Amino acid sequence: MRIGLEVHVQLPTRSKLFCSCSTSGDEVNSSVCPICLGFPGSRPRLNRKALEMGVSIAKFLNCDINEKVWFSRKTYFYPDLVKNFQITQYETPLGKDGFFTIGGRRIGIWRVHIEEDPGRIKRAGRSGEEVALVDYNRSGVPLVEIVTAPDLTSPEEARAFLTDLLIELRRLIGLSPNDETTVRADANISVGEERVEIKNINGLKSIEKGLKFEAKRQSKLLAAGKKISRETRRFDEERGTTLPSREKEFEEDYGYIGEPDLGTFTIGPMARAMKLPETPLARAARLEAEYGLAPTSARQIVLTSWELADMFEALARRAGSETATTWTLGAISAQWVELQERYGGRLEETIVPIIDDVRSGAITDAEARMRIAVLAGKGSEAAEPSSSEDLGPLVSRLVDSNPDVVRDFRSNPRAANFLIGQVMKETHGRYASKEISEAIRKELEKRV
Amino acid sequence: MDEGTVRRVAKVSRLDLTDDEVSIYAADLEDILSAFAVLDEAPTGEDFDLDPVPVEDRLRDDEVMAYPDPGRLRREMRTADGWVRGPRLA
Amino acid sequence: MGEGAPPGMSVMDLLAAVRDADERHRIFAERLEDPLAYEVEHAFHFSAKDNLCTSDFQARAGSRILEGYRPPFDATAVARLRQAGGLLIGKTNMDEFGFGSFSTNSATGVPRNPYDAARSCGGSSGGAAAAASMLEGHLAVGVSTGGSISCPASFCGVVGLTPTYGRVSRWGLIDYGNSLDKIGLLSASSGMIRRYLPAISGPDPLDPTSQVQPPLDMSGQIRSVAVPEEALTGLSGSMRAAFEDAVARLERMGVEVRRGAMPALRFALSAYYILATAEASTNLARYCGMRYGDIEQETDQSFNEFFSRVRSRGLGREAKRRILLGTFCRMVGFRDRYYIKALQVRELIIREYEEQFRSVDAVLTPTMPFVAPRFDEIESMSALETYQADFLTGPPNLAGLPHISIPCAYIDGLPAGMQLVAPRWEEGRLLSLAERWENGFEYRRPEGRA
Repeated sequence: MRIGLEVHVQLPTRSKLFCSCSTSGDEVNSSVCPICLGFPGSRPRLNRKALEMGVSIAKFLNCDINEKVWFSRKTYFYPDLVKNFQITQYETPLGKDGFFTIGGRRIGIWRVHIEEDPGRIKRAGRSGEEVALVDYNRSGVPLVEIVTAPDLTSPEEARAFLTDLLIELRRLIGLSPNDETTVRADANISVGEERVEIKNINGLKSIEKGLKFEAKRQSKLLAAGKKISRETRRFDEERGTTLPSREKEFEEDYGYIGEPDLGTFTIGPMARAMKLPETPLARAARLEAEYGLAPTSARQIVLTSWELADMFEALARRAGSETATTWTLGAISAQWVELQERYGGRLEETIVPIIDDVRSGAITDAEARMRIAVLAGKGSEAAEPSSSEDLGPLVSRLVDSNPDVVRDFRSNPRAANFLIGQVMKETHGRYASKEISEAIRKELEKRV
Repeated sequence: MDEGTVRRVAKVSRLDLTDDEVSIYAADLEDILSAFAVLDEAPTGEDFDLDPVPVEDRLRDDEVMAYPDPGRLRREMRTADGWVRGPRLA
Repeated sequence: MGEGAPPGMSVMDLLAAVRDADERHRIFAERLEDPLAYEVEHAFHFSAKDNLCTSDFQARAGSRILEGYRPPFDATAVARLRQAGGLLIGKTNMDEFGFGSFSTNSATGVPRNPYDAARSCGGSSGGAAAAASMLEGHLAVGVSTGGSISCPASFCGVVGLTPTYGRVSRWGLIDYGNSLDKIGLLSASSGMIRRYLPAISGPDPLDPTSQVQPPLDMSGQIRSVAVPEEALTGLSGSMRAAFEDAVARLERMGVEVRRGAMPALRFALSAYYILATAEASTNLARYCGMRYGDIEQETDQSFNEFFSRVRSRGLGREAKRRILLGTFCRMVGFRDRYYIKALQVRELIIREYEEQFRSVDAVLTPTMPFVAPRFDEIESMSALETYQADFLTGPPNLAGLPHISIPCAYIDGLPAGMQLVAPRWEEGRLLSLAERWENGFEYRRPEGRA
């Protein structure tokens, strides 16, 4: 099975790609102007931020960046396309021949370019006779289009690819909060020899569902000895099936020409000078390599939060990989939400000393866990110790009620540990474990 | 430029042509394209530009400037509840 | 005497002149009719070709498909002339979307030559040239893609300046070919053009292609010109003779005339038509009955039929021809041989002119191969023949170079122009030469002119 995707992601700019209208309009047809409505006499002006975002994505995906690019007119007729041509990039994508790694495998990226979104169509009227109602708020919004090689081998892998891609893009350029549902893709899938295209699927869930259905459909045909015809299909959200595309009866000839109104753009130097931030999965890969973390552990850490990963690295540098892993994936992760809420931005300086104390023996593991819980606001019972006794009298009382410990202590000093644990339980971390063990030893030595 | 090609081009460009028109345009375009054949002799290089003067790196900052009167634009079109009405989709 | 009228003409006289000229020569697609409007204080009056958007008139660009379209904004060039004190008195008739050299492809009115009403004004800015010719002190704004300012200027005996591509902002210009369209000025003599070219020039944030220009420098002179031999073939006998007379006069004025060759010019016209129609075929795709102009009320047809029906009834024959030609030239399998090749040929033509400008200040040719033809003569011309009439104006337009047509002869009473082409951004030297020419050469105004 071979699957290739043409992914469209909306770029999170404030204004549209070719005009200064806001990319977020509330009321229908409110965020519009002569340019994004294609009125006669209007012409486009390129958004700098959109170009920069596009270039950073191409660079991130390891593409060869074109030194000089321009834009093209892709002509076809549809009610959502105000000029009946879309301004896109045909001859000169921002980058080509890159790759993106998932699960240790490289998925080829054929090209990355930017283009304008058409408007949004709502269908009205009786089925089979529906008319188009169009909202042009979306017309002119900037999109990045990422085209993969047909290197994906299953619908699940396709979804994983998109999930990971979005994780990385979120950090690279920021995305809208509901990006998993606003991402759109055209998918090409061939179970046998012939390729079928499913156009315009919205959201990760539907993309996986559509591919699963189509894979099954093609397999069934092949098993029955039938041929699969090369065609374009669409995905029916409600039924979860793919259907032959009913509307575009003949092959359009897009007749690409350059867009003279925009001119050319030299992006080579911009791309070379760009310093890309480290993205979550790239960081996870680095954590695996540098600290010997298991892949799932590394992924869990970076996907929980960036600051958690920062803390992990700080701990690892001080205390070694194993200690850092145990604590990060254990007690710290478990309370991460609360810890981040209360101490966000200061977590490294708050928590690292606790681990330092464990390592030096100043406190036990249990005490450290308790302290972390207190930080997370869970240790409210710890605020009131069950015993209000002072340490001295408490230790005395416990030694009195444990004569066998006194007897064992004569030959084995570690017998004291049992009492240390008891005291800690009763004092709920009120005293440092060093303090407690000294007090117990002193008392025991008195009796011996 | 045969009539079949004219019909195809007309379809791509959404023009309904009568049979007479197809005939006339086929003859015209045949004529014109023969004249254009002179370009095959032109000693050009590979380079080209989109404009006759260099238009390079003209960018606009990502600032929002709302169009003052979108209502005026909506009134130019046929709308229903603010949505622009278009043709049947199938 | 009205406060606002230019010296020498009262408001009522101006209104009467406009009405009279329009009725006899069908100059305007739409014009100011209200006398009160003429009383508005103004330094000069101007007209705008009907493919320029203005909020106070329709903009139909000579087409049925834009019937009733009132733009919500002014073209930058128009706004700037208003700011400079101009009164916009009307929108001038033109070939539909600029498609033509005789203004006969117009759904809003075919303008008639001021010197002979049975003849064409030229095109596509025919109405603009007629207005400039008929109305005293008038400044007409025109648009050239392949020669649509020069040609009517020549046929109507007026001065027509086409600036460098990118000199004047195209915001608000209804597009024909985006890499070829240039807004320019026509007037009975060069003075008005010289005075108001600075007003419409200059960068405009709304048009990126207008932002690369250097400041307009109105100094600059022409001391030498080159006449390429390619420009002297295919002329009518009388045009050839008239042109040679003009050349001799220039020499007497002290301009050095060199005869030379520009062999690449023979490729220019084909390349021009390929690029212009390819770009136009995409520019006109938006006219589909949905968002402005001729809005189709019946939605019972599927969208492809809907679009085709509106376009077929709203677009004229020449528009359809150019859409078919332009679409073909950019289709799969033909695109390299036509569209890409034409782009490469443009570079060749630009270099051919640059080569000339190493040794001369301008290139000189006749503007058109003949004087204004009669309407019945035009009827019998094939499409290819009409295109070939542009062989002299095509090359500077393809190359985006500034050029001017100056009346230089009267052949059987009909005007003929000579065309000078300067290097990029050198509009100043063209206007200087026109001014010098006017010191010695007397223009003949048409009879019945206001």
